[in-house]
Amino acid sequence: MQFGYYLDGLLHGDLGFSVFKGEPVSEAMLQTLPFTLQIAFFAILFTLGIGIPLGVLSAKYHHTVVDYGITGFYLAGIASPYFLLALFLLIVFTFMLHLLPSGGALSPGITAPYPITHFQLLDSLIEGRWSTFVDGLFHLIMPSLALALGIFGFITRVLRASILDVMHANYIRTARAKGVDENTLFFKHALRNASIPVVTLASIVVTWLVTGTLFVETIFAYPGIGQYAVQALSNLDYPSLLAITLVFAVIIVLSNLAADVLYAVVDPEIRL
Amino acid sequence: MISNKESRYRRFVRLFLKGNQAKLGLAIVILFLVTAVFIAITGKSFLPYNPIEQDVGPVLGAPSAQHLFGTDNLGRDVFSRIVFATPNDLAVSFIVIASSFVLGIFLGCIAGFWGGLIDEMLMRSTDVIFAIPALILAMSIAVILGPGLIHMMYALMLIWWPPYARLARGEALRISQRNFVEAAKASGINTFKILTTHIIPNILTPILAYATLDIGTVVIVYAGLSYLGLSVQPPTPDWGAMVNAYQDYLVSAPWLPLFPAIVIAIVVIGFSLLGNGLRDAVELQTIS
Repeated sequence: MQFGYYLDGLLHGDLGFSVFKGEPVSEAMLQTLPFTLQIAFFAILFTLGIGIPLGVLSAKYHHTVVDYGITGFYLAGIASPYFLLALFLLIVFTFMLHLLPSGGALSPGITAPYPITHFQLLDSLIEGRWSTFVDGLFHLIMPSLALALGIFGFITRVLRASILDVMHANYIRTARAKGVDENTLFFKHALRNASIPVVTLASIVVTWLVTGTLFVETIFAYPGIGQYAVQALSNLDYPSLLAITLVFAVIIVLSNLAADVLYAVVDPEIRL
Repeated sequence: MISNKESRYRRFVRLFLKGNQAKLGLAIVILFLVTAVFIAITGKSFLPYNPIEQDVGPVLGAPSAQHLFGTDNLGRDVFSRIVFATPNDLAVSFIVIASSFVLGIFLGCIAGFWGGLIDEMLMRSTDVIFAIPALILAMSIAVILGPGLIHMMYALMLIWWPPYARLARGEALRISQRNFVEAAKASGINTFKILTTHIIPNILTPILAYATLDIGTVVIVYAGLSYLGLSVQPPTPDWGAMVNAYQDYLVSAPWLPLFPAIVIAIVVIGFSLLGNGLRDAVELQTIS
């Protein structure tokens, strides 16, 4: 019966009331989720930005020093727990180089922009406050980089294997026999086909991303849904935990859907 | 099929040991396993210091000859604490994998061999578990059960089996269409016997390779849960919990949180290299 009430509430956008936060869970969600989506967006950019070039490089120079170096790098990334990556970045960029802020979403003294879209970066742009935008961006770099360093290895590994696979295909031999030059062959013929298996990784990437936000946001004191989850956990805030689990599940299901759509884009043989 | 069993295993070992990465992985895994078994048997007696005793060295002491990994905020020896935590951390991973392995093969064989409604039900329930990240699900279960090592293990055991069931189902489906299974069916051998003598031995190797690769993942997820304070409670040392406790001293003693975190990474790398080697050997063997 209680479950029935809960489901009914869900359909009306009512996620319950968080005693710990002193506000409805949906309100807390609205405040934290955009921050996490900001991190996730940049983390995915970093992941692709690091993962794809390294995958291409290690396939192009396979079984050379370059390949082994990259393999070692991504293995270390995959094997490291997120808190190790986050602490490592913190030590290097904050305590040694003094380049990036140690945590939070904005520097103290800078007021948050009025929440129009609830995405802080967008809001500061709408208000035309460049300094706030840049400050917010600086605070985003380390959390999203920490996430990306833990994930990019999946992409590099699969892309490398898949390019090497494709390079042995018959149509590559045909193209080479026709006199297509090596670079066009590699980037136009091989890479596009090799990227199909990478799309399969979307759900793994999103799963690890979601898991990672818990640690990364806690360490960098970033006010997203991951930090909210950890707070809810230590305060035994059941309605919040339930809602967070639900939101994470929805994100993962949606990303699977997106992957299916992407398949059709990358591989013209697949019709939706 | 199994007439040249001995040579098949020997071939497998030869293929496996060809890779340098696999050898490195094996060495790391053996090192940690031996440490874990040794500590589990002898307890604290052979450690340089008592891992729980305070003020055996200076507060926040840097790594030195006396204290290899330094000392923590309470003057405890970090090296002893890390070594002492090895059996717990590895035992959780092994038990979770072992239970998923057995449960996965059992359910996967049933689904793959009989198909139909059972298959459909099983696959849909794995879909549900797949939709939620393991760590989040384990976290929610752990909240209900309360923190603790055993509870954490139960939570992980409960959610870890679906990939194994899927893998076993696929393999069982493939094997059950082979001629020797048809022949066994035709000659009237009962289903249980077919499963145990024909299906299971033939699907074991790929699943075992996956399991080795997967131990690393359990180590990482368990470390995460322990970091969140859901596993063993202080003062008992645990790698993940140590990172959490020491990260406040990142500025004054950066090595404190880094050492346990790096140990976790090394264990995971060891198991991935070993698992990769096993998987490659399995593939090479099936090709030739």
